[in-house]
Amino acid sequence: MRTIAVIPAYNEESRLGKVIFDVLTYVDRVVAVDDASGDQTSQAAKEAGATVVRHRINRGQGAALKTGTMAALDLGADIIVHIDADGQHDPSMIPALIDPIAKGEADVVFGSRFLGIQPTDMPEMRKVYFHLAKLFNTMFVGISKDITDPQSGARALSRRAAEVVDFRQDRAAHCSEILRLVTQSDLRWKEVPVHVRYSRETLKKGQSFLEAFRILWHLIIRGTK
Amino acid sequence: MRNKFMPIQILLTLVLLIALAVTWKRAKENVIRKREAFLWSLVWIIAAVVILLPETTSFVANLLGVGRGVDLVLYASVVVLFFLVFKLFTSLDRLEKLLTDIVRKDALRDLPEKDDEQPNNQITE
Repeated sequence: MRTIAVIPAYNEESRLGKVIFDVLTYVDRVVAVDDASGDQTSQAAKEAGATVVRHRINRGQGAALKTGTMAALDLGADIIVHIDADGQHDPSMIPALIDPIAKGEADVVFGSRFLGIQPTDMPEMRKVYFHLAKLFNTMFVGISKDITDPQSGARALSRRAAEVVDFRQDRAAHCSEILRLVTQSDLRWKEVPVHVRYSRETLKKGQSFLEAFRILWHLIIRGTK
Repeated sequence: MRNKFMPIQILLTLVLLIALAVTWKRAKENVIRKREAFLWSLVWIIAAVVILLPETTSFVANLLGVGRGVDLVLYASVVVLFFLVFKLFTSLDRLEKLLTDIVRKDALRDLPEKDDEQPNNQITE
């Protein structure tokens, strides 16, 4: 079983190195996608031991994730893990993500922040926002209501799932899109509890309410079907 | 009185005439298609009629149950603008998609050492 982690990164030179270093203890290879960063993100990723692909112009997190996923398929991955570059995902969650796939119990595994393990320092407003997002997802986007975490960025896909799930949202809306594509397909999916750490820096880059509306808009424009 | 046009009416009509001429010049140069040239001509001609004979809008407005011609023009403009904005958004989105595809292709071309240490992956499958 060849496991490859995909980490989309945009201006993450300060945090990316440590993330890659930690992630590499759990996977065979890390593909870092530098989404046309203005800093030394590519360099930092290379030094930490990642395979680097670089977008010439910024196309957004979803686009970078897709590029990385295709690179991982090219590199012969059997299991592909999606991890955020900012260090909010504890790399020790990776075995829990890939285990159900390795055992043949699931094709896609989502890390959920709401299945038992309390996130560290998650603001109250953010919790309210997640509940609203969940409601919206089930009502308008068509994501199964069994999904407990509507905006989870940590997930693992089998090779077949990565080939089938053709997400086209370039920006933050890819999260909802992947959830919809997977839960509406015949792929077997599963959620496992993961631990997420919120720091001031991760929050700064995270999703505000404004961003939520932007996601909504993208889902409408690019279609939810 | 009908024959006494205001200077602004004459000026705008002249502009529209030029637009009409340019449209057909471009059609001849094969920059735009003939069908498009006809559509644009129609737009220019309708605009000229509205400018020279403002009463016509009132006539059409009354037919549609709208009080004044000016109101009808305003309502119609809003609808047309909404439509154009929507068209713009969708075409922009299509362009974005294309751009992403190109950027991705370019990025993946630089992918180093493909299938380096595990060529057996392809043999077994």
